Amino acid sequence: MPDGTMTPTFTAPGLTAQELEVARLIVSALSLEVAPEAIEPEAPLFNEGLGLDSIDALEMALAVSKAYDVKLRSDDERNHRIFASLRSLTAHIEKHRTR
Amino acid sequence: MRTGALEWVDAPERGSVRLARFMVWLVHTIGWWPGHALLYPIAFYFMLFSPRQRRVARRFLGRALGRKAGFGDVFRLYFAFASTILDRAFLVTGRTAHYHIEVHGLEALKARIAEGRGCLLLGAHMGSFEALRAVADAGSPVEVAVLMHEANAARLKAVFDALGGAKRQEVVIPLGTTDAMLRAREVLERGGLVGLLADRAPRGERMQPVPFLGQEAPLPTGPHVLAAVLGAPVMLAFGLWRGPRHYEVRFEPFADATPPGRAGRQALVEERVRRYAARIEAVCRRHPYNWFNFYDFWQECGR
Repeated sequence: MPDGTMTPTFTAPGLTAQELEVARLIVSALSLEVAPEAIEPEAPLFNEGLGLDSIDALEMALAVSKAYDVKLRSDDERNHRIFASLRSLTAHIEKHRTR
Repeated sequence: MRTGALEWVDAPERGSVRLARFMVWLVHTIGWWPGHALLYPIAFYFMLFSPRQRRVARRFLGRALGRKAGFGDVFRLYFAFASTILDRAFLVTGRTAHYHIEVHGLEALKARIAEGRGCLLLGAHMGSFEALRAVADAGSPVEVAVLMHEANAARLKAVFDALGGAKRQEVVIPLGTTDAMLRAREVLERGGLVGLLADRAPRGERMQPVPFLGQEAPLPTGPHVLAAVLGAPVMLAFGLWRGPRHYEVRFEPFADATPPGRAGRQALVEERVRRYAARIEAVCRRHPYNWFNFYDFWQECGR
């Protein structure tokens, strides 16, 4: 699996640099068949959007915690909002990241 | 492969909630023996008025028994199903005094628990989930959580509430919520047990066709993917109905903890789905009247 950070950078319209980084992390962690640049920042990640399920959510949480040391816990009632879109997830990571 | 429309959502469960309510009322007023006697007409009634379920049950029994299933076989299956619903009313409230519950494999489960890494318990829609939980709840020094379909979880809660809300250790985690698996992971991290039934999946789940009783049947990969993502050890768990107030609870080793990572995961999951199906098949052959999947399990209709 190619490392997400090795992908040549070209700017995707609408994605910030951080969002693109998180998008690459998700695509690589979940082996998604979609280009990170093609993820709509405001589109829902789960169900009708990218079509991720709760096992994907778990893998994503594991990948995020490994990459940024941001723990996503189930007792966080904001989870619904955090997982809502790439944008909200990135915002959460930026706010809580320690590395 | 993903499933199309699944029938089980409106299979006998709907009727069984009404039946469960009736049973609860019954056992509170007249006790177990009269309730047991009433199972004969009740099982007969349900068998008579559910032709579609009767047909699939008969086909299952033919395959599990290895011979043509007759009226008596189908009636035994319905009777066993009704029995587990009657017993649920007792087992949920902890009134296990007159029950004979044989337990096999508890030592293996305790050894797993002692490792402190938690354990996934995979079951199937066979026998009595309540008998299983009666043992898991009573015998477990750690927390027990059950991953369950939201609709079923709500129905089950209604039944529990009707029974007067027994104080249970175990927690129901509704499947289908985004953080369901995060919650499951946290229970395992605390060394707890997480149970789920791995023979059915809601619409849209990933399925894998595997040999089952001589025919290919689609089984969900989700439970095994979950085990692989978490790297958690897995055991199988069954609460089989053996006769009036007689259950056999079995815990069987299934898979050791695995290192995390995606490498080799697909092959691992495929092997486990096949092995799970083979194990369920063996239990079906030994306990054919415990199979409570009253729907087109092999997805043969419309093929």
